[in-house]
Amino acid sequence: MSARRVVVVGNGMAATRLVEELVSTGRGGPAQALHLTVLGDEDHPAYNRILLSAVLEGTYRLDALTLRAPEWYAEHGVDLRLGARVLGVDRERRDVMLVDGTVLPYDRLVLATGSIPSLPPIRGLVRLDGRLHEAVHAFRSLDDCLRLMEAIRPDQRAVVVGGGLLGLQVARALSVRGLDVEIVEGGEHLLRSQVGGPAGQVLARDLRRLGTTVYTGARAVRLSDTPSTSGGEGAVGLRLDNGYTLDTDLVVLTAGGRPSTALARGADLEVRRGIVVDDHLASVTDPDVFAIGDCAEHDGRTTGFVGPAWEQAALLARRLTDPDADATYTGSRSVARLRATGLDVAVLGDPERATADGGEVVEVTNPIVGSHRKLVLRDGVIVAATLVGDLSRIGLITQYFDHGTRLAGTEPAALLMGDRMAPPARLADDAEICACAGVSAGRIRACSSLDEVRATTRATTGCGGCSSSVAQVLASRPALTAAP
Amino acid sequence: MTATATHCPYCSLQCGMTLVREGRAALAVQAWPAFPVNEGALCRKGWSAVGLRGSRERLTSPLVRDRETGELRTASWDEALDLVASRVRSLQAAHGADAIAVFGGGGLTNEKAYQLGKLARVALGTSQIDYNGRWCMSSAASAGNQAFGIDRGLPFPLADIEEADVVVLVGSNLAETMPPATRHLDRLRARGGHVVVIDPRRTPTADRADTFLQPVPGTDLALALGLLHLVVAAGDVDEAYVAARTTGFDDVRRSGAAWWPERVERVTGVPVAELRALASLLGRSVRESGKVMVLTARGAEQHSQGTDTVLAWINLTLALGMPGRLGGGYGCLTGQGNGQGGREHGQKADQLPGYRMIDDPAAREHVARVWGVPAASLPGKGRSAYELLDSLGQDGGAKALLVFGSNVVVSAPNATHVTSRLESLDLLVVADIVMSETAAMADVVLPVTQWAEETGTMTNLEGRVILRQQAVPPPDGVRSDLEVMAGLASRLESAGVFSTDAEEVFGELARASAGGRADYAGITYDRIRSEHGVFWPCPSADHPGTPRLFASAFATPDGRARCVAVEHRGAAEVPCDDYPVHLTTGRVLAQYQSGAQSRRIRDLPDTGPFVELHPMLADRIGAHAGDLVVVATRRGELKAPARVVSTIRPDTVFVPFHWVGANRLTNDALDPSSRMPEFKVCAAAVRT
Repeated sequence: MSARRVVVVGNGMAATRLVEELVSTGRGGPAQALHLTVLGDEDHPAYNRILLSAVLEGTYRLDALTLRAPEWYAEHGVDLRLGARVLGVDRERRDVMLVDGTVLPYDRLVLATGSIPSLPPIRGLVRLDGRLHEAVHAFRSLDDCLRLMEAIRPDQRAVVVGGGLLGLQVARALSVRGLDVEIVEGGEHLLRSQVGGPAGQVLARDLRRLGTTVYTGARAVRLSDTPSTSGGEGAVGLRLDNGYTLDTDLVVLTAGGRPSTALARGADLEVRRGIVVDDHLASVTDPDVFAIGDCAEHDGRTTGFVGPAWEQAALLARRLTDPDADATYTGSRSVARLRATGLDVAVLGDPERATADGGEVVEVTNPIVGSHRKLVLRDGVIVAATLVGDLSRIGLITQYFDHGTRLAGTEPAALLMGDRMAPPARLADDAEICACAGVSAGRIRACSSLDEVRATTRATTGCGGCSSSVAQVLASRPALTAAP
Repeated sequence: MTATATHCPYCSLQCGMTLVREGRAALAVQAWPAFPVNEGALCRKGWSAVGLRGSRERLTSPLVRDRETGELRTASWDEALDLVASRVRSLQAAHGADAIAVFGGGGLTNEKAYQLGKLARVALGTSQIDYNGRWCMSSAASAGNQAFGIDRGLPFPLADIEEADVVVLVGSNLAETMPPATRHLDRLRARGGHVVVIDPRRTPTADRADTFLQPVPGTDLALALGLLHLVVAAGDVDEAYVAARTTGFDDVRRSGAAWWPERVERVTGVPVAELRALASLLGRSVRESGKVMVLTARGAEQHSQGTDTVLAWINLTLALGMPGRLGGGYGCLTGQGNGQGGREHGQKADQLPGYRMIDDPAAREHVARVWGVPAASLPGKGRSAYELLDSLGQDGGAKALLVFGSNVVVSAPNATHVTSRLESLDLLVVADIVMSETAAMADVVLPVTQWAEETGTMTNLEGRVILRQQAVPPPDGVRSDLEVMAGLASRLESAGVFSTDAEEVFGELARASAGGRADYAGITYDRIRSEHGVFWPCPSADHPGTPRLFASAFATPDGRARCVAVEHRGAAEVPCDDYPVHLTTGRVLAQYQSGAQSRRIRDLPDTGPFVELHPMLADRIGAHAGDLVVVATRRGELKAPARVVSTIRPDTVFVPFHWVGANRLTNDALDPSSRMPEFKVCAAAVRT
């Protein structure tokens, strides 16, 4: 049987995980060995895209992002082509044509094309020649990140357009780099697609405390090459629909992305928001074409998170190596975490939707310390949550969320409150002080000195952990009153 | 009055102690301050160790199961040994040599462990021998061999802890399991050093740490990958060290790339802030030329991914440039008294004395020559401990089992199943000092000497070979294990010599180990006495022994440490609707292992098993402190009083394993490399 040819379009996090899974499962053994080709349109080897803002911030070295070096693909017999742009897919002939004219036949095609940043409708954003204005930066790829890092200087001003997760991360990164940063968000509050108003307001206050100005309910409408005031500090002016014009040196666009579906459309695959796939992640139009990650739409949903992308990749790897595998994709539980210095945010599932769908809500807002925490439960199971400003219980809440643990009625509130402080213990005579030697407080009270304790009870001579307790018990002995 | 310098009968610390005897009167424990490992300190187990001396619980006569009544009755030694030998012969005649299996223990002296391996391979000719050490440190052993080319728990003396700047304890509760060792942590902290404890429970050890991380059981591997990720991201890899002293680091570097802190948080339950704080502590320490030491114990190792977990922590220490530097590196805190020596001299299914591999032709030649038998007569590799027990009575499994120094009914995972396997045997022979739960099932029970009544060497957690010396004569009717083995060998008309003199056996062991990885050739009883123990490898009489390994090279062919990239797979069982919490198991201070000895000592409190759970979980099921609660898993149930403590993760319950029951719950999923069962985590339900 000839090798089955699998062509993967895309070299992002979903594609990389798929290839890793295929390599680690031995690709189903020699009898059904797959010949794998990976086409990445970027020139860089696969990297961890979600950490780009940490590189921008300066807390990560760039080389720490590389997921797999090209040599790894070679060692495992995978044909990796970087800088390979796909021109089109011919489903009749079952091949893929690259921009340079190369034609690659496939038996199975995987589209892992990710998403592309959307351009907000701001006049002046795009030059007549179709390129972005030089003060404007997208923030999606490693090249975007490098170009932005090249452009920034600590005394500059920057406006981040978009108050979602990426926008906040980029804004914080630029602040940490010493820039004066403003955020423009069209919605009524920050992180509007993830959290409700109270959480967004806590976040805005945090950001202001950190020196970042936040404009919500405001849209940028026009970019002009001159600042609003003569002698203004920035190089450009960004006009908002509320009449303000922000003078700035840089504009960073983080206002969301959309699934990259041009190839799929060109190949006449069914596309709504994303490439529509069934429970086996196959296109509903063509069972030999699959889509995973940000570009895929399953059950009416697209996601922008790596968790679901990896689950899809693992499932598809099983499917490709064993077509009889009955593994089906049923959706993922996602946890969105903000990666930004000084801001603590976690969003589990979709709290707003879960609330609207009738979930029971337990929430605590503490404006004094700047925290907002909300659990949405259904039948005692946490189905969504928002945690802002206080993540002390996140390691437990995410476990309950992921495992679908059924909680008792009192637990959600207990999870959101701090640990009850134990009252200071008054040691009873039979309380054990020294576990090594098995010595009670009473026996220590019967001694008059540490030396006597050591000699008669052996307390403190084992691990020594009770030394301070023994000293306390000795010090609190009732004084023996001398006879008159 | 006579005073005998010896060592505690329990854990791998092998604390020095003096046994004092006045006439034939009671034996007393006194401190031996000159012995460097514990400096005279002992825990209550050590102080009360003589408690079985003269106890009514001691077995003093062989017992055989009466065919008529089904009860055990006393028998003479000749009757008992003749019976065993004749049954062995007839079973082997009917089913082949492998019809007899041998199960040893990590508490046996080096001499016994060596002799037991020889008994199996020469007198019985069976490949089916393994031991409970497989359930102790085997994952660390497997990882150490892969990374460093050698398996010695600590590659440095324990006191080197004091030279470190940061010590990270992963899954070790040494303040309870080996209390006298805690002094080194305290001294390190007094010097300004930093102690980190990683454990699902805030143990007494964690109470004495500067930093405490509380991960979900079974996720230490992901935690290590997350730390590696941050160390790489911050540029804190010791590139010069990695280039000069390791191979394969690039793969390891990449293996951490996908473990960013938020992902680690989701898997491990350790908040990002705590993970970052620990990574920056490690990084800062390295930048300031500090020393980082990582020590793992059973909490990290007893998992179906235990070997990979240890490798991940070793990789972290290699990234930081630590192994081989004084006060830095990686070590395993072995558990059992002779966990180290017990695995070096032939009790393991795949090994011959001197840590030689049984499938290596040169090793077989060498050992066969010492034993005076043809190399071709030695059997090959047998089954690992759990697999051996699992196969008993099954097709291709053994029909008879000889047990020395182990109480598998209590200590094996999935214990109900293991007990059913023992019941299916044609012959079960148990040598023990008391009527353990396993001995109670036996067809023949052989009473043997206890530690104070015999002489032999142990190899402690540091790789230091020490000498336990006889302080008192054994009770009448009791024989040493060496005598039992010699008695069986002669009845089976075995080739080779089976000496009953420990020092003579040690001499033979030393010759058999010569040239092997664990080389004892230069060690003698006299040297051990005068040098407070000798560290292996010690290949010749004029060799000083090797307290510290890896200073200039690792024990690999090219002298470099091997970085082995590993991936987190997770525990074999994760919580689900029916079994919504994690169960983990462990020890308490006053008891030891299956408790066969310690539960019978009056001065040690025998609380029985208990279920430790968090107040939030107790509220969920409506349990109060002291209530009987049921812990159930897919394999069995245990009912025990609740201990409601806020020191445990609310999604986890803990049960100590010294009593029958805990291991009816535990999972027998095995590590693919070490064959270690997953004692430390499974899915459980808890209810009132």
